[in-house]
Amino acid sequence: MSVSEAASSEAIDGGSGSEFRRGVMSCVPVLLGTTPYALVLGAQATQKGLSAVELPLMTGLNFAGGSEFAAIQLWTSPPHIALIVAITFLVNSRHFLMGAALAPFLGHLPQRKAFAALFFLCDESWALGLADAKQRTEAGITPAFSLRYYMGAALAMYLAWVGFTAAGALLGPMLGDVQHYGFDMAFPAVFLVLMRGMWKGMAAARPWLVSLVVAALVYLFVPGAWYVAAGAVSGLASAWLMAGDA
Amino acid sequence: MIGAATLLTIVLMAGVTYLTRIGGYVVLRNRTLSARATAVMEAAPGCVLISVIAPAFVSRNPADLLALAITFVAATRLSMLPTVLIGVASAGLLRHFIR
Repeated sequence: MSVSEAASSEAIDGGSGSEFRRGVMSCVPVLLGTTPYALVLGAQATQKGLSAVELPLMTGLNFAGGSEFAAIQLWTSPPHIALIVAITFLVNSRHFLMGAALAPFLGHLPQRKAFAALFFLCDESWALGLADAKQRTEAGITPAFSLRYYMGAALAMYLAWVGFTAAGALLGPMLGDVQHYGFDMAFPAVFLVLMRGMWKGMAAARPWLVSLVVAALVYLFVPGAWYVAAGAVSGLASAWLMAGDA
Repeated sequence: MIGAATLLTIVLMAGVTYLTRIGGYVVLRNRTLSARATAVMEAAPGCVLISVIAPAFVSRNPADLLALAITFVAATRLSMLPTVLIGVASAGLLRHFIR
């Protein structure tokens, strides 16, 4: 077998090690955007009085960045436990939809593996795993969902998030404002590329437009993190209504 | 190094977050969905992703909007890494030069 044959067969359904590596590599562009956010979160947490042990404990057990930023914004000493837990739930409620979208692809996994894999579900690992599963479906590969690919992407994300939030907590006072360098644009870039991969024509994308408009309006006029929930729910409602036309 | 109230908050945060992660899977793993519900589920990933980044589309900073437009065009024709590099570089440069 030539090198190129080996590479192409690996790219589709290679050995377990190469699947894991493929997942790690696909996560690299995402980490460009994640790392500055993690450092900023760490730096903000120390200003609110969290220690360099407490913060990585939070990011390691919770592992959902948006809710951690919200928690740190609301943090007092001692913390308002009910408020922070409720906001955490609200910010992360989109995971219900994400898990539901992934559920049809997890049927071949034993429950304990599925429950372990879902601990590492974040916007990025989910989007990469789901996009990969859809591509493999179209290529006729079974099972469509590659657990090792997903875990490669998810663990790269996990280690970077916990590691760099801890580093941010330690280095916080020395860091300037990293937002100025444009790294935050990595997230729209990653999400837009992933959405292009899911593109099925203008008609199928109408609910996305509804989500965008509603989320943007709610973001402008309603304080807090309601815009994610409002945008997602209104998009789904429009998909429900438009499904009748087809 | 670890306060009791802080530890309790963190553990409860982790608990509710994990519930959101397994919720969709637990509810749907043994169901067959109607055509309408399938259409909703197919729209869901895009709806969630676009909602998360919606604030970028209504930035009051012209440099950010221009960088987003450049990133959008890049995303329609390039793969992940070049798109991310173009997005970050254009945002960084435009914020520096447009004030």
